[in-house]
Amino acid sequence: MARVPSTPARMVGTVFVTCLVAASALAATYMLTRDRIAEQEAAAERLALQSVLSGADAFTLAEELLPAAAEAAGDVPVTAVYRATTATGEGAGWGVRLSPRGYAGPVQVVVGLDRDGLVSGVSIITHNETPGLGTKILTEPGWMDQFTGWDGADIAASARGFDNIAGATKSAVAIRNGVTAAGAVYAEVLAGQTEGVQAP
Amino acid sequence: MREWTGVFRRGLSLENPLTMLMIGLCPTLAVSTKVEGAFFMGVAVIFVLTMSVVLVSSLRLYVPEQVRIPVFIVIVASFVTIVDLSMKAFLPDVYIFLGVWIPLIVTNCIILGRAEAFAYHNKVSLSAADGLGMGAGFSIVIVTLGLIRELFGSGEIVFLGARLLSFPEWYRAPNVLLLFPGAFIVFGFMVAAAKWYNLRTGTRMVQTSAHCTIEEGGR
Repeated sequence: MARVPSTPARMVGTVFVTCLVAASALAATYMLTRDRIAEQEAAAERLALQSVLSGADAFTLAEELLPAAAEAAGDVPVTAVYRATTATGEGAGWGVRLSPRGYAGPVQVVVGLDRDGLVSGVSIITHNETPGLGTKILTEPGWMDQFTGWDGADIAASARGFDNIAGATKSAVAIRNGVTAAGAVYAEVLAGQTEGVQAP
Repeated sequence: MREWTGVFRRGLSLENPLTMLMIGLCPTLAVSTKVEGAFFMGVAVIFVLTMSVVLVSSLRLYVPEQVRIPVFIVIVASFVTIVDLSMKAFLPDVYIFLGVWIPLIVTNCIILGRAEAFAYHNKVSLSAADGLGMGAGFSIVIVTLGLIRELFGSGEIVFLGARLLSFPEWYRAPNVLLLFPGAFIVFGFMVAAAKWYNLRTGTRMVQTSAHCTIEEGGR
């Protein structure tokens, strides 16, 4: 059997039909996996929030605060602000998700701040840092703990004690920028909020 | 049937994409730090490769030569995206570990190479044998590499959260195995072993066999 002759119409038609079929197959896969993926992402996010705010039981997205928070953070993009509450509905602090620029693209971090504005923990959700070098921000023992206790109300003072990592300078600075921006968000936006009251 | 097994077995040893043809090395060296990642990378490649070559082969008489590459790429990219979405949904931890290497299967030379060199010129059953054989050959090598690197590089093997094997406390794992130099060194030994095996069994790689060997149909 011989291959079909190549006429311009056939070429265009073949590519068109292939793309059409491929697009429908992908749309179907997307529909089938969409809910599952959203579930998984929500679970991963909850886990990150839980790890930085161990005292909280529930996290609600505070969308109304996001524009003001984005403004306060300056150059560092803020992607979400969470209001943390305890089981009794009392305010337990705040979770701020930011994506400061690392060495190889944005590093997604969640910074937890307790009711008094002290940093309670930092967790990295995703990153593209160089394995073995930039990833020291994850593997260096105890390095991440230095941010705990930084004062959101006066983050610049706390940031002076920042300890960098040789070989992971840019990646470490990215985390510091994230925490500093989260402090600014707290000082300018979150500190004035009567947290917990509006929580459902 | 003999032809079928012959084509299948070529992918495993004589024309193994990694140790003999030396294509698709980039993801191999990158994700073989963990057996788990290597295993699912192998599964993903077998799936994408087999599905793509079967589809390319069954469409080969209807795809004009001038537009074959765009058509192949669309087919391969679709299967890769299907794998990408399914893995994200059902194996999130593995997905995070494999990261960019799953989408990059699209540009893996093994897949486009087999579609172009074999599937476009051979009938569906033989193309399926070629896809399965090449995919299995790839998986065997990448999993073996992962086993060696994870076992000796980190002292234990963890698969989907379960510890399968571990060295006693006194073992100090050399970090170099988990870094790229270690990957090259271990892989070099594996290439040597594969070549030695092929020499011993009296089979030699035919340089031209990377291109189509069983010509059928037009041109």
